[in-house]
Amino acid sequence: MTALKTASLAALMTAALAGTALTTGTALAADTVKIGYQLPLTGETAQYGQDFRKAAEIALTEFNASGKPFKAEIVFEDSRSDAKEGTNIARKFVDDKEIVGVLGDFTSGVSMASAQVYKDAGMPQLSQTASHPDYTKISKYQFRNIATQAQEGPYNAKWMLSKGYKNIAVIAEQTDWGQSVVSGFSDGVKANGGTVVFSEFFNRGLKDYRSLISKLERAKPDAIYTGFFYEDGAQFLRQVQQLGIKTPVYSTSAAYSPKLIELAGEAAEGVHLTSNFLPTDPAPHIQHFVTEWKAASNGAVPGQFPAQAYDAVRIMLAAVEKAYPNPTREKVRDALAQTKDFAGVTGKTSFSADREAEKELVKVEVKGGAFVPVAD
Amino acid sequence: MNVSDLSAPPRGRGLLIPLLLALLVFVGLPAMLAGFDRGYFYQIANLALIFILLSASMHLVTGVAGLLHLGHAAFYGVGAYTAALLSTKFGLGFTVTLPLSGVVAALIAFLVALPTMRLVSIYFAVATLAIGQMLYLVMLNWVEFTKGPNGIIVTKGLELFGFSLSGRLATYYTVATVVALCVLAIGRLSHSYYGNALRSIREDDQCADAMGVSTARLKMEAFTMSAFFAGVAGSLWAHMTGYISPGDFKFSESILILAMVVVGGLGSLPGAVIGALLLILLPEGLRAFGDFRNIMVGLVMFLSILLLPKGLLGEVSALQLARRQLGAAWRNTVKGEGIGWR
Repeated sequence: MTALKTASLAALMTAALAGTALTTGTALAADTVKIGYQLPLTGETAQYGQDFRKAAEIALTEFNASGKPFKAEIVFEDSRSDAKEGTNIARKFVDDKEIVGVLGDFTSGVSMASAQVYKDAGMPQLSQTASHPDYTKISKYQFRNIATQAQEGPYNAKWMLSKGYKNIAVIAEQTDWGQSVVSGFSDGVKANGGTVVFSEFFNRGLKDYRSLISKLERAKPDAIYTGFFYEDGAQFLRQVQQLGIKTPVYSTSAAYSPKLIELAGEAAEGVHLTSNFLPTDPAPHIQHFVTEWKAASNGAVPGQFPAQAYDAVRIMLAAVEKAYPNPTREKVRDALAQTKDFAGVTGKTSFSADREAEKELVKVEVKGGAFVPVAD
Repeated sequence: MNVSDLSAPPRGRGLLIPLLLALLVFVGLPAMLAGFDRGYFYQIANLALIFILLSASMHLVTGVAGLLHLGHAAFYGVGAYTAALLSTKFGLGFTVTLPLSGVVAALIAFLVALPTMRLVSIYFAVATLAIGQMLYLVMLNWVEFTKGPNGIIVTKGLELFGFSLSGRLATYYTVATVVALCVLAIGRLSHSYYGNALRSIREDDQCADAMGVSTARLKMEAFTMSAFFAGVAGSLWAHMTGYISPGDFKFSESILILAMVVVGGLGSLPGAVIGALLLILLPEGLRAFGDFRNIMVGLVMFLSILLLPKGLLGEVSALQLARRQLGAAWRNTVKGEGIGWR
């Protein structure tokens, strides 16, 4: 082995180790409370994580400016939506004795892998998006600030049946969330006298939906119910339009993002979906968030997910405040569990006994290039 | 690689380096870990060990036998799923699932290897890519059996014949022991007469065939054994994290393992170990740099390939090291000329 090689190797390893050592153990003043936030800031799902961080920073700035007896600090760590990195971060947060609560992760998979660490350590974890049915069952430390499909599916099923659609086709992405979309909705349809005539999953990031659409149309549904996020949703809607299909399309709150309309254009017209966040709502606290968000993102309107993240951070901070002075992880967990009618931008939120967020849902239709609330 | 590089007589049968390594892994590191007493360091140490095993097992196929393998993570997944399903459906513990995970992964590798092993170069690579995707899609879409994207929660931790090994230090020692034994086995396989036969396939498979080396059989054996070790790594991961889902075993993980082998040095076992350490420790160490850390990791990989195309510890130096320090089976002629591993 040449000297150059030895030297470069040694340098690399020392750099890696030194970095690991450096990033841990920084002392803080006594009146600062730390919260961890694990989220994908790079990688395939970075756009969501970046939005969460922006929303969290808005919430944090407001909290620290509001003259509370202590200052809060959020430690952001990038998980890349990778379970390996997620568990590493979880261990890191648990090691930091000053961290009393954790937010995140984005995907259920990473949230659940990390939850195994938080369960053993007794660290409260509040995810803004993890929708896996088993996530909150892991232990009494797991909370989520998102309506599950067990709640949203039957709601949408009743809505569609009341519109006279009896035979419904369901498609969803092949993820744990997509699975819960189909099962939650199908149960709701069957319970209320409708029929699911077709159901199939597609892989996230699929570019060509035409074979799926024509297969689906062969089942002659009255309407289509879809479980996708805005990127896939826009592709799907464009191709439905290209094929000249007029069957009405319904979707979940996950597709509720201004980017859906931006990417799908005219093809998004007439899509019905549910949401628990309406940026057009005149309520002052909602308009305040929308204004702050626009200022931080070149005038773009926030979607559902950043709003959920914003609320999740505020719910966590409120719980920390309740546990103050001398907040501990256990006290923060108990305070979180007591959250009742928290007035957030995504409606009033309470945690049920099994730590599920109970949310109010709003019906929305895309009209003239905007989301418009509808009565039915 | 030139054969004459290997013909120098060994200077000794020193056990110094293996002894030092064993001391480091089983005494030095655990002492440091216990001293810091941070779950984070334990976690990273265990993760690095698991990826050392993955990269060492890929080294056998891609480094030594020279077959570009693009689906290695799938066998890691098969091992993890075997462990998870056996433990949740039949209540079996780690002691049983660990070897079974390896066996099942090896069995599947053997079956898919049967029709593909006569393929060469790029065709083989594409076939392994397809195998990897196929297995990944089975994990993702066979919902009734694998629970699909919902993943599986593995409630049973590490144990040995019923004794729980789930404490921090116990977990580290379990993972370290399993990985050390596997790496030792891979070392014996690649630094031996057998390893030389595998290398002959890499250098010129037609020539090797003409010399009477059964290339198809050797390729199949290397592929199957490599899958066995990947399966063992999968079992370690499943019991250690307690939750697995198909996303842990997708194509990008295969590429990560391949990158470890290449950056470390194709054909070099110490290189594969160093590559795994680098690509696990570096992204964690660079967390302080926030969003730029992935760019920096990419830069380090790019520069190391540009400046050290043979890897951080290339094959020739690795073989010399192995021969000098670990060359138990190395034989010389009466005149003192090295004739190789027997």
